[in-house]
Amino acid sequence: MAEYDDDDFNYSDSGSEVEMDDGMSEDDGIAMEAEDQNGMSEQKDSSLDCIIMTSEQLEKEMKETISEVGNILHVPLGTCRILLHKYKWNMESLMERFYEHPDTMAFLRAAHVVPKNAVTAPTSSTADCDICCNLAELSGLACNHRACTACWRRYLQTKITVDNTSEIECIMNGCELLIEDEKVMSYVVEEPVRASYKRLMINSYVETNRLLRWCPGVDCGRAAKVSHCEPRLVVCTCKSRFCFACGNEWHEPVNCRLLRLWLKKCSDDSETSNWINANTKECPKCLVTIEKDGGCNHMTCKNVACRAEFCWMCLGPWEPHGSSWYSCNRFDDSAAKTARDAQEVSRAALQRYLFYYNRYMGHQHSLRLENKLYATVKAKMEQMQQMAMSWIEVQFLRKAVDVLSECRRTLMYTYAFAYYLQKDNNSIIFEENQKDLEMETEKLSGFLEHELESENLVTLKQKVQDKYRYVEHRRGILLKHCQEGTERDQWRYAE
Amino acid sequence: MSGIASARLSEERKAWRKEHPFGFIAKPGKNPDGTLNLFNWECAIPGKKDTIWEGGLYKVRMLFKDDFPSTPPKCKFEPPLFHPNVYPSGTVCLSLLDENKDWKPSISIKQLLIGIQDLLNNPNVEDPAQAEAYQIYCQNRSEYEKRVRREAQKFSADQVQKTMLG
Repeated sequence: MAEYDDDDFNYSDSGSEVEMDDGMSEDDGIAMEAEDQNGMSEQKDSSLDCIIMTSEQLEKEMKETISEVGNILHVPLGTCRILLHKYKWNMESLMERFYEHPDTMAFLRAAHVVPKNAVTAPTSSTADCDICCNLAELSGLACNHRACTACWRRYLQTKITVDNTSEIECIMNGCELLIEDEKVMSYVVEEPVRASYKRLMINSYVETNRLLRWCPGVDCGRAAKVSHCEPRLVVCTCKSRFCFACGNEWHEPVNCRLLRLWLKKCSDDSETSNWINANTKECPKCLVTIEKDGGCNHMTCKNVACRAEFCWMCLGPWEPHGSSWYSCNRFDDSAAKTARDAQEVSRAALQRYLFYYNRYMGHQHSLRLENKLYATVKAKMEQMQQMAMSWIEVQFLRKAVDVLSECRRTLMYTYAFAYYLQKDNNSIIFEENQKDLEMETEKLSGFLEHELESENLVTLKQKVQDKYRYVEHRRGILLKHCQEGTERDQWRYAE
Repeated sequence: MSGIASARLSEERKAWRKEHPFGFIAKPGKNPDGTLNLFNWECAIPGKKDTIWEGGLYKVRMLFKDDFPSTPPKCKFEPPLFHPNVYPSGTVCLSLLDENKDWKPSISIKQLLIGIQDLLNNPNVEDPAQAEAYQIYCQNRSEYEKRVRREAQKFSADQVQKTMLG
């Protein structure tokens, strides 16, 4: 306990310190802030009513909630945490139920915080422990089911470290009374186990709470707190950008539901589809999928009901190939053409999916590679500062890489969005926006990758700034169009 | 840890010898040198009266680990039993026997055996462990009952008792 209390006083400081360490990127200067407000409306919102909390802050807030409810309901604090957990940390709904219920004791019994079937208290505190069968000092909960301290400790330790639960029942078989935190802590002495239990409590606080979500960043351990649960961008102190509603990376313009479908489809199908597409064709007669396993182009369908003989190259019937009027090298053979057409139709769906998938993956890949640009750009910035440009004057390069990453990420998710979109006028506008953004993003990427060295500094700055302002603007327009479509319920999805 | 396990198991043995439910058998096995092995019990569970399992006596091996009673014993029908919640290996799938579910260190061998007896006639379709019994149970109840009755005949109480106690 003591080590957490010390930290309680300086959270606000520690939060901002982290940001400073990362190279002072946050106070880029006045000129940038003005730009932020044009294009990136979502960032403006996110800072308004979303707070990033460290685990110490979470613990403090959890304790405050517990004591607040404890004061109102006049129940012990240990009981309070269990009740709040049960009501998903929604104070109002807990209190409503609490006061609505005609019989407070029955309410507490149903919540397993007051024993249902307490046995009579034994007279002597020393007896045979039911678990280890040794004569020992026994203790227990309000239900008077008792065990020795060593057995309690082992039981709780197993529940905490193996079961990973912070809501633990009494040790006695059939007794559902839940153990209060103070009691758990009085039995468990080993520091790692105590720390695990604290973590589990905070975890239960965050995971059951609709207004909190853990940051998905690796080893981050912070949580975001919002005032309304809805899909929205959260930017954590660790720089992770995620969606509050689903916990995935921020995925505008595609919504959470379609993103889930998309990710599932990608993980299920992509490799298989790629392979099928590259290595197989369908029998022109029965459409069974065929893998060619020898060199001869004279194929005989192995489907017993079909047995069609055809040419692998032109998909036309084999007969003409064997005779003198061989015509496989002549492209417009009509029978072969109909077969190829049929094949095309059946492959179209697969092709369509792969089209979107490959572009989605392409942008993801570029995004990953372009992370390296930060290092290149940093060197360039230092070089420019030596050549009589001030610190503030060279920040545009860093900003350009930020914008580039943003655009990549948006483009990536536009392909998931587009995959589910049905063609209509709106989708055509969307595709135009997408096309323009994609083209210009590639140009920006090109500047940053190839032209850093070749340009004169003044024109380079001019070009890069023009480009990133343009793409940022276009990105804003694309997202706004998607948002408006969602608000007006204009998008037609095909699933 | 092992000290607690053996102390508890010898108490279990005492308690069983003093009193146990009718028709059940539970006794520690023997080591090759003839001494008792408290960590390996040979047990048998009778089918409940007025159920399709009546008349049979089903052999179960209970294997305890060093950290018993923190972890439950492994319970295994020998030979494997035709039942939706018994794995093809014979291992019983029951929440009471799962340390992540309902296992508590206070559960006694007697309670476990009664729990398994109860499972015989109340299979849990949420948690199937073998395909054959599960499918027949779901699709053709009369065939299932016929199969179980045949099982009860195969493991008739008189015979099993003779091999275990004799």
